[in-house]
Formats: sequence, structure tokens, C-alpha cells
Amino acid sequence: MSSRRDFLSGAWAAAGAGAAVAGAAVLGKALSGSPEEARTVELPEALLMKAERDGGLVHDGLLVRGPATAPVVLDLTCTHLRCRVAPVEGGGFSCPCHGSRYDAEGRPVSGPALKALARPHLMRAGSGFTARLS
Amino acid sequence: MILGRLTYGLLLVAVLSGLALAPFWSAARPLESLETLNGATPWGFWLRGVHALSSWGFLLGTLAHLVEVLWKKTDGRLSPGVWWRSVALLPVSILALLGGFLMRGDAEAQAGLAVWREVSASIPFAGRALAALLLGVPGSDLAPVALHHAGTFTLLAWLLTAEHGRALAPDLRSTVLAALGSFAAAGLLPVSLGPAVAPAGALLLGPWYLLGLQGALLHLPVVAGWLLPLLLLAVVGLVRHVDGRWRTTLLAVAAAWSAGYLAFTVRLLLAAR
Repeated sequence: MSSRRDFLSGAWAAAGAGAAVAGAAVLGKALSGSPEEARTVELPEALLMKAERDGGLVHDGLLVRGPATAPVVLDLTCTHLRCRVAPVEGGGFSCPCHGSRYDAEGRPVSGPALKALARPHLMRAGSGFTARLS
Repeated sequence: MILGRLTYGLLLVAVLSGLALAPFWSAARPLESLETLNGATPWGFWLRGVHALSSWGFLLGTLAHLVEVLWKKTDGRLSPGVWWRSVALLPVSILALLGGFLMRGDAEAQAGLAVWREVSASIPFAGRALAALLLGVPGSDLAPVALHHAGTFTLLAWLLTAEHGRALAPDLRSTVLAALGSFAAAGLLPVSLGPAVAPAGALLLGPWYLLGLQGALLHLPVVAGWLLPLLLLAVVGLVRHVDGRWRTTLLAVAAAWSAGYLAFTVRLLLAAR
């Protein structure tokens, strides 16, 4: 009797473990794609003109500056742990999470961040641009 | 042990005050809803204080009780399974509290959410899925965080406490003591909210119990965010299985870990000044 019970217990455990692994795999596959999806930000002409006039502006997590016809865009996401960096007085950027500092061009100057701020790919969209962030 | 019973009482106060707060919180407008609760709802500020302080008390009580158990060498009274699950109560409590911190929705909470997402995502194989499961996908509201704060982790904390304490609920005396202590503390210690946007150049601080980890991440790679806590849990869990010199060694490692954590906390606080 005990060997039958042992067999059934083992079978249930194996079935449970298999179901758990399969469930985790399905869930993992379903969820793991989402965070990697690219994000796009529209940069209409009016916004680009304002950025040019004001010497730069922050829009939807991006710093937009330079001429409206050929803007320079920086992604204000820290390359260390993806906090939002903020412009600081005297140029450059600072991360509020771990104190990484970047120069005005987005190159890391101090702190734990090692990579420069990302420059999104810009595509013409009518009279403005679309910024594509990976 | 009176400390363990009081900690259980604090958990009940935290759960009940959390239930009372739930109707006032909005996943789509977390900070605005809490500002309204704090500023425009009668007793709202105090109720939030009771919830926060009883939760902090629960975490501190859990920690102090763990030290007490190790000090008095009573860990051997628990079966290995119950012991390991009791040790797991520590990260479960911290995850429950962290969810509450993220639900504030202010600049500190937003930064905390970004960091925690990256720390979770750095876990091999399942990290990205785990981050999405616990925190939602980037850009989503805080509903998944709230679900795990009020549901998953609170329920787990209750189950683990109940198993360990061999009681489905705390006794009346401990509950009354915990409630009175939380009520008084909420009247004396204000639990404020931060600004919606970080002031330029400022260093934002995470929750007080994770400052050491935040400080460690100034110098160590992101995987330290989960490897360091895992190391401590493994060391404390193994204490139950060894005696003599090995036990002393493991406890010394845990003490050194705690000292290092405190040093990282101080280092971060100095950097934030």
C-alpha cells in the first residue's frame, strides 16, 4: 500500500512541478517582451521652434535643443539604473538616484554611470520629427 | 516571546489601517490622491501615519525578534522548514513595505520604481518577467504594485507569521498595545510626501530600510541589489543547521554584513547632504 501511495505522491509532485515550470515559462514569455518594446515620441514643428527659441526644452523625458530643422535630442534616462536625470545649473545633467553626473553633451563625468545619455533615432514626420527610443 | 507577539499585533494594525486607506488611493493619480488624503481628509494624515508607522514597527520588530532568536539560540526549536520560511519573512516584509513606498508616486517613489525595476530585471533568466509581474510594464500605472503590496506580500507575511507564531491572529493584549503605540506615534511623527519632481541636482533617498542598498549601488554593479540580500538570507538561514565554531562564523558574517550595510547607509546620507 505504501509503495502505491509513494508512487501517487511522486506523480502528483512531478505533475505539479511540471505545471509550475510550464506556467512560469508561458508567463515569462508573455511578460518578458513588453519592457523591451521601443517607445516613440512625436516632436512637432511648433515644439522644435520653441526649443530653438528657448535654447532647449524638456519634453516627455527628452531634452530637445538646436535648430528646428536639425534638432539634437538626448534621452534623459540615466544609463546606470534608468532614473530620470535632470539638467543642472551651468550645463550638464545629474541623476537623483545615485548621483551620476553628465556633461552638457550627455557624456558621463562622475558617479556610477559609464555610458553616455542615449540619442534617440530621429525620423522625419511631416514638418516635425519622431524620436525612437530603444 | 513578547517581542514576537507585539510584532504580530503591529502587522494586524498595519493591515487594518491599510484597508481603511484603500478607498482614498488612486493608481492613476497616486500622489494627488495622497495629498488630498493628507491635506483635505479629516484624520487622513493621522491614518496614513498609523499605517506607515505600524508597518515600520512590524519590520523593526521582525528584525529585532530575529536577532533575539539567534542570540538566545532558540532557532533550533523550529523545524528546518519553518525556520527557513521564518527567515523569508524578512524579504517578504521589505517587499510589502517597498510597495507602499512606491505607491506614494512622488519623485522619490518614481526613482525607486525605476531602480527596483532594473534590480529585478538583472536577475538571470526570469528577471524581466519578474519585474513586469511585480511592478507592471514601464509606463503602466501603479495597480500591479498595489496588488502585490496589499495582496501577495501582505498575505505571505501573514501566513509566515501565523505559521511561525502558531496562531492565526495576534492575541488581544499585543494588538491593543500595538494599536496604542501606532496611534501615539502617528500623532507625534509626521509621515510626509515628497515633491512630484526632483529638485535639480538633489540626491533622492529611497526608503530608510533600503538606504544601505542604495548606497551600495553607488559603487557596486546592479546585481548587488539582489545578491547582497540573498547572501544575508542564506547565511542567517544556515545558522539553524550548524553548531559551535561554524555557528559563530556565520553569525560573524551576518554581523559584518550588517555593519557594511550601515556604512553604505551613512555614506549615502553624507553624499545626499
